[in-house]
Order: sequence, then C-alpha cells, then structure tokens
Amino acid sequence: MKRIILALCLTLLTAVPAFAHFQMVYTPEIALDEGTDLNMKLVFTHPFEAGHTMDMAPLQEFYVISQRGEAAEPKKTDLMEYVEKITWTSLTNSGAAYEAKLPRKVVRSMGDYVFVAVPGPYYEEEEEIYIQQITKTVLNVGGLPGNWADPVGLPTEIVPLDKPYANWTGGVFRGVVLSEGKPVANADLEVEFMNHPPVEGKNEFQKEAIAEAPHDAFVTMGIKTNDRGEFTVGIPHAGWWGLCALGTGPQTEHEGKELSQDAVLWFKAVDMK
Amino acid sequence: MRKLITLTLLAGFVFAASVAFAHTPLCSCFDNGDGTVLCEGGFSDGSSAAGVKMYVKDSSGNVLLEGQMSENSDFEFDKPEGDYTVYFDAGEGHVIEIPGSKIVE
Ligand SMILES: [Cu+2]
Repeated sequence: MKRIILALCLTLLTAVPAFAHFQMVYTPEIALDEGTDLNMKLVFTHPFEAGHTMDMAPLQEFYVISQRGEAAEPKKTDLMEYVEKITWTSLTNSGAAYEAKLPRKVVRSMGDYVFVAVPGPYYEEEEEIYIQQITKTVLNVGGLPGNWADPVGLPTEIVPLDKPYANWTGGVFRGVVLSEGKPVANADLEVEFMNHPPVEGKNEFQKEAIAEAPHDAFVTMGIKTNDRGEFTVGIPHAGWWGLCALGTGPQTEHEGKELSQDAVLWFKAVDMK
Repeated sequence: MRKLITLTLLAGFVFAASVAFAHTPLCSCFDNGDGTVLCEGGFSDGSSAAGVKMYVKDSSGNVLLEGQMSENSDFEFDKPEGDYTVYFDAGEGHVIEIPGSKIVE
C-alpha cells in the first residue's frame, strides 16, 4: 500500500506516470502443441509503459514443476544451469536481466509446466524499500493438463482458478492469493497489460504500444481479493497480463529496510476468430 | 414425477456428453536416441491413459508390437527397422495414429 501512495506522490511532484513493478518470466507462446526449445526472458520492469527496466538482483532460484495428467506426480527441475545474464532494453533505458535457453528435453512431455523465478530483493532507492517478486508463468504442452491449479508452496503466490494458458479475450481470469499457504483476504493486486511485447529474438520491447491508457489509473489497475482471498479480472485484450499481489509474503524486512515480498502470476489471452 | 424423470435423463445426457467431449485422447512419442521409443498418453481432462491399448504396425499394416499404457501412461518399445506407425487405441473415435517419421529425439 505504501508503494502506491509513494508512487502517487512522486507522480504529483514530478509528473512521472505511475506504474507498477512487474517481474516478467516471458516466452512468446505458452500453449504449445508439442515440446520444443524455449527461450525465456526474466526482466524486472514496468510492462504497460515498457518504461524503466530495473537492474535485477542476482537470481536466487529458477525452476519448473511439471506434471503430466492429473494423477501423475509433480516433478521439479532446477533450471539455474541454463540461466545467463543479459541486458534488456526498454523504451527509456537498459537494465540487467536474465534469459534461460531451455533445451527440448526440459519441455518435452505433454502436460503443465509451472515456471518459478525467485529474484533477489531489489532495492528501490526512491522509496527506500526492497522489492522481491516471486513469479510464476504456466505453460502447457499438448493440451494434457497437470498441476496448473496446484500451489507450489511458495512463501506467497497467486494460485490460478483458470488455466493461465487458455483464455479467450473477453473472458475473465480468477485466482487466489496465498501467504504461507493461506488465503489473503483484502489483498491489494495490481493488474497490468504487457503493452509493448518483447521483440522476438531480441532483448528489447517493441516501440509501438498496443493500447492507450486514458488515465494513469488504467496503466496499473488496482483490485482487491475478497474475504476468501479470491479475485476475478476481466480480459479486454489479447496478449499478456501480469498480476501482482503486493506485500503478501511473510518476510517484511531485508538488510534493515522494509521489504515488499510480492506474488506475481502471468496469463495470456488470445482472440476468438 | 414425469418431469423429474425427464430432468434426470436430461442431466444424464448432459453429463455423458460433457465427459465424451472432455475425453480427447492425447499421445506423444519421442525417439530416446538409444534405439527405443517412448510414447506418453493421456486425455485432455487430465485423466490417466493407463491400460490403453498400444500397437506398432509396419507399412503394410502388420502388427509388429502390441501392449498397453503403463500405470504412468507410458509405453516404451524398441524402435523397429523401416517405416512404422504407432496406434494409441482408446476405443472407437479415440484412436491416435503417429507415423514413425514424425517421432524424433
Ligand atoms: Cu520502478
């Protein structure tokens, strides 16, 4: 909550648009017919504006939990060996980010793949706080579902109630915010559209925007969870949508400063045609 | 009473229809690169393919191998010489054919 207020104050003082931080775990397609090599980009940025890209702190963990069919056992695969540092270019600057070139053997079988990135806490100087966004992106191969709806057991996470890889434009997306496995009532969520998708094969955002926000409040939409920790968002446009539950993690301090431990989940929508 | 029966029948029909629809068979095979081929099966509703009949046939349709999906919805076999096709046979309307030429590492 403090972050929103501070961001608004800054906006009034400096007329910088208010935008929210989102840890991206991105790959163009997440509903795949068959297993393939994947190139994933891990970028800490402001996706609606493709604005300031933050220098990510060293990545602590990157792994995938996959499951083929509902009866199967989930399998955890560490992906840190595939991770490399890159420089990501936004519309206003460049920042330190990561990419992971995953060979086909990692995403070969049918089923669900829940990718989890745990970045180190990032120090936001203007606000004098640390931000750590524990992020999930869910991918499917071959249409056989698996563990997409299962909690991973993270300190805080958004658990989807709808398949994050199968959404039509105009539908809704629902989920539950958990902190140490328990639903968080009245949690603040930020919702942001990836308005300048990454350029394929490059470490940069496309220059042209897809949509225009009539007002700053539309850049980062704010919603709250209900008393059971659930939320629903509408999907007005095809593409990538980021959801971030602010400060829902149990850890509130890092190196003597306030820490906002957030949960991020991405989902993708496509047009019905 | 009659209304109730109709409703029950209707409910039964909707249920059956949705089950049939949700049961799209899925099968995917890989060449393990060591002379064996692994096929993985399942259904689009997440249910297991354990026990589903599997056939491997040559280009003339002769059955080279037959077996069934394991408890883990897997079927592994030695890669035959020449052209072959894998059949995942979960009953009428639920058969998947995968030509050996499409099975790669
Ligand atoms: Cu920022």
